[in-house]
Amino acid sequence: MTSSKIDLEARSKAKELIRKSFEALVNSIVSKERPLLVIPKRTLSNTIYDYKHKLLLLGPDVQKRTLLNINEAKKFTQTLLMASIIYESLVNNEYPTIRDLYYRGKHTISYRTLDGKRVSENTWDEQRESDGVIRDLEVYLGVLREELLILSKEKGKVVGNLVIRSGDDVIDLSRMGHGAYAIEPTPDLIEFIDVDAEYVLVVEKDAVFQQLHRYGFWKKYKAILVTSAGQPDRATRRFVRRLSDEYKLPVYVLTDSDPYGFYIYSVFKVGSITLSYESERLATPRAKFIGVSMTDVFGDEVFKKIVSESSARKALEEVAPGITELAPKKPYLSSSERKNFVIKAKARDLERAVELVGYRVAEVCTEDSDAKSKIKRKAGTTGYPWLLTPEWVRELCIFFNTLSKVEIEAMAGKGLRFLADEYIPAKISTGDYIE
Amino acid sequence: MSGVSETYKEISPAEFFYKYREIAGFSNPVRAVYQTVRELVENALDATDAYGILPNIKISILKADEVHDFYKITVEDNGIGIPPNIVPSAFGKVLFSSKYVMRQTRGMYGLGVKMVVLYAQMTTGRPVEVTTSRKGLKRIYHFKIRIDVAKNEPIVVEAGSWKKSREWHGTIVSVTIEGDWNRAKQRVLDYIQRTSIALPYADIVLTTPEGEIYYYQRVISDLPKPPVETKPHPLGIDLELLSNILKMHSTVIEALLNGLQSMGEVTATRILKEAGIDPSARPDSLSQDDLLRLLDKIRSYDNYRPPSPKALSPLGEEVIKAGLKKAFKPEFVEAVTRKPSSYSGHPFIVEVGIAYGGGTPLSEDKPIVLRYANKIPLLYDEGSDVITQVVREEVNWENYLVTFPAPLILMVHVCSTKVPFKGVGKESIADVPELHKEIKAGVMEVARALKLYLAKKAKEEEALKKAEAIAKYIPEVARSLAVIISSSDHEREGLRAEILNKLLYTVSKKTGVQLDVIKKIADSVEAET
Repeated sequence: MTSSKIDLEARSKAKELIRKSFEALVNSIVSKERPLLVIPKRTLSNTIYDYKHKLLLLGPDVQKRTLLNINEAKKFTQTLLMASIIYESLVNNEYPTIRDLYYRGKHTISYRTLDGKRVSENTWDEQRESDGVIRDLEVYLGVLREELLILSKEKGKVVGNLVIRSGDDVIDLSRMGHGAYAIEPTPDLIEFIDVDAEYVLVVEKDAVFQQLHRYGFWKKYKAILVTSAGQPDRATRRFVRRLSDEYKLPVYVLTDSDPYGFYIYSVFKVGSITLSYESERLATPRAKFIGVSMTDVFGDEVFKKIVSESSARKALEEVAPGITELAPKKPYLSSSERKNFVIKAKARDLERAVELVGYRVAEVCTEDSDAKSKIKRKAGTTGYPWLLTPEWVRELCIFFNTLSKVEIEAMAGKGLRFLADEYIPAKISTGDYIE
Repeated sequence: MSGVSETYKEISPAEFFYKYREIAGFSNPVRAVYQTVRELVENALDATDAYGILPNIKISILKADEVHDFYKITVEDNGIGIPPNIVPSAFGKVLFSSKYVMRQTRGMYGLGVKMVVLYAQMTTGRPVEVTTSRKGLKRIYHFKIRIDVAKNEPIVVEAGSWKKSREWHGTIVSVTIEGDWNRAKQRVLDYIQRTSIALPYADIVLTTPEGEIYYYQRVISDLPKPPVETKPHPLGIDLELLSNILKMHSTVIEALLNGLQSMGEVTATRILKEAGIDPSARPDSLSQDDLLRLLDKIRSYDNYRPPSPKALSPLGEEVIKAGLKKAFKPEFVEAVTRKPSSYSGHPFIVEVGIAYGGGTPLSEDKPIVLRYANKIPLLYDEGSDVITQVVREEVNWENYLVTFPAPLILMVHVCSTKVPFKGVGKESIADVPELHKEIKAGVMEVARALKLYLAKKAKEEEALKKAEAIAKYIPEVARSLAVIISSSDHEREGLRAEILNKLLYTVSKKTGVQLDVIKKIADSVEAET
């Protein structure tokens, strides 16, 4: 196997990190002390939104895992087993996937009980278990799995005026034909050689990405075009983050106009709730939501009507101060287009929306009695702090009121030219996006 | 009553028992076999352990007739023997003893063996054969004896003697009775086995008609202290006994002072004064009314010292434990001999043994109960016995950490100069409050000991379980860490061994389980890929 220099460096760095991190444990075992691993907690309750850096971060809580506690012994063992497998893979110049690691570590431990029975148990049974251990190791070591040369499926794609070195090859991402460069699972091993772009446009949907690509959008507007093809994977997020960090390029995110689309933007911007430990390296705090917003579809008429009622106005002001002083907003769709493109929201969209901005907003803005009863299930939900801004509350308020969603394709349906040459450039040039 | 004429006829005690044999336990051919074995064995034991002799008892049961269900039952002991001159009346004359001293014995007045002789005579017509000798006698004496039922006199059918060729003392009694051995067998086996549990200091051999031999070997050579004869306690006497005592003395006050225990001069004088009887009166001058008044006054005085327990011979905690250990090889055994107590002037001592686990048989929802009265196992009428009542109904065993089915046996021994039996069968003990209280206290005492043991055991088991749950991972942990830390294959093995050994030590220390146990578990680990 040939390995690039950057690869070898990454390997030796990772090996050293693992060895160093477990040295203290070995020393304490040798001096007959309690074998203890102290690992940051990955629970929701230990997920903190850092207002200053606008990131989701792991809190200060730690879990102590010792071999001497009957409830922790297995996890303790699994953690060390996984560390040793990863270490061996690094030594052997391999690139295991998390599934490979699951199989490599899965074996039967069989022992004889004191009354002579032979009992067997598996190191782990389901990949869910080994995946959990990998996450524990990431937070224990303070690195992402990619830095340990663990691969995952490639999902994100990119095209644009960008030259990179991946492995020992130099790749020009403006010469990919109708295809695109699949963002490798170890984006930190990518070296950016040359960038000639004004911004990064991240598109949720692969189909829209392809249409814009073939239309020559990125060439025309000097953009780097990225798609996450749905929920963004870690590599795509890291890749976007690097572009934002290293070239200070503005990042615009284009998603469907529905709570799931809004959440995808949120993941790019502040990180994922369940995997907050990665945010520090994966999130792009400066990412902007370009659309499609509810106000792009409906304008602000609906919202104005809601806040014309004083109790609603008061309640929304409490949630997001300044919401009534937002600049007016015109829709990009005519009322007849709206009629054609709007889809009715489903129950799970509704629930997702409540998770985003909280029950209070949902309660104030929802009129439909059926929807009102559905959101009741989520009573007590407070919403994500970073979305409780006037702009986002207005967006979701319109959603609750209209119970509508619109896909990006609807904008393209109005004509690809509209999307590429009018909608996107207009939004960027007029600053019509949400930060 | 006119028109009905009744003829009254004097009957001898022998005739009385002959007619009412069921009273003595000979109600059917099954019971007869059991009762015969029991009477003979108990006499054999009374002739040995009560005199400080470690009992060697041989029991043989043989089919004695081709046609009839006749069985020859022979019991041999190494006891003190019977003086040859009283052998005929000991076996051939039903006597009411005029003795009034008190001590704990198995049989009362030697009545049982005469019932055996009568029953044999009645069913097979064969005489009892007795061979006996005492320490110091130079000859061994042999008799064949019948009972003249009407006259209540022994008929010596055959008598002889021969010179001892070796020093031997003891008695061999042989009777032939009609019986149902097949159905009695299990009871007899139970009886002998249970006897051996209470008497681990006895050597007992049983040979059955089928030629099976059951041998219960002596496992302990300490005998319980034999009972000492004591005078009756004032609260324990009746009119009959009182007049017997009076008869043996020349004045009433002398009879009270010398014939009863716990009776001082001040008390005696006061009682006689209250009864209006002259202390120096001659006993035979008292009328029946005087006697009754005297008895009332004796009984109503309530400040006697309690009856002396010297007349009692408890088994002792060590003997009980040895017996239970021998019989069941339990993992836990405990015994308690309670302090002497008394009811109605009769001293008694309750002893309780408990065996748990090991070879102890499982009982479904209540402990198995072994009942003993004066060292005799009680096999029949279990349900109506106060011991059964206490052990099975009044103790919540779950409070003592026992979960059924459990390998749990309770042994309760009541010894007394007068065990309060229910009915004449002498197979179950009556619910006397003083006794009930002592039995309960005794059972709870051993139950508490069991609870402590079980709690400790559970704790140890928990520690072992914990050790197991941790130790099984040690090899994997050691291997993993050695892979990460070692810089060469060469170094790896040494590092692995060191980490493994240190972890074994730490886990042992933390769990409190011995290092070699932890090592054993870790060594048993096999990793199958």
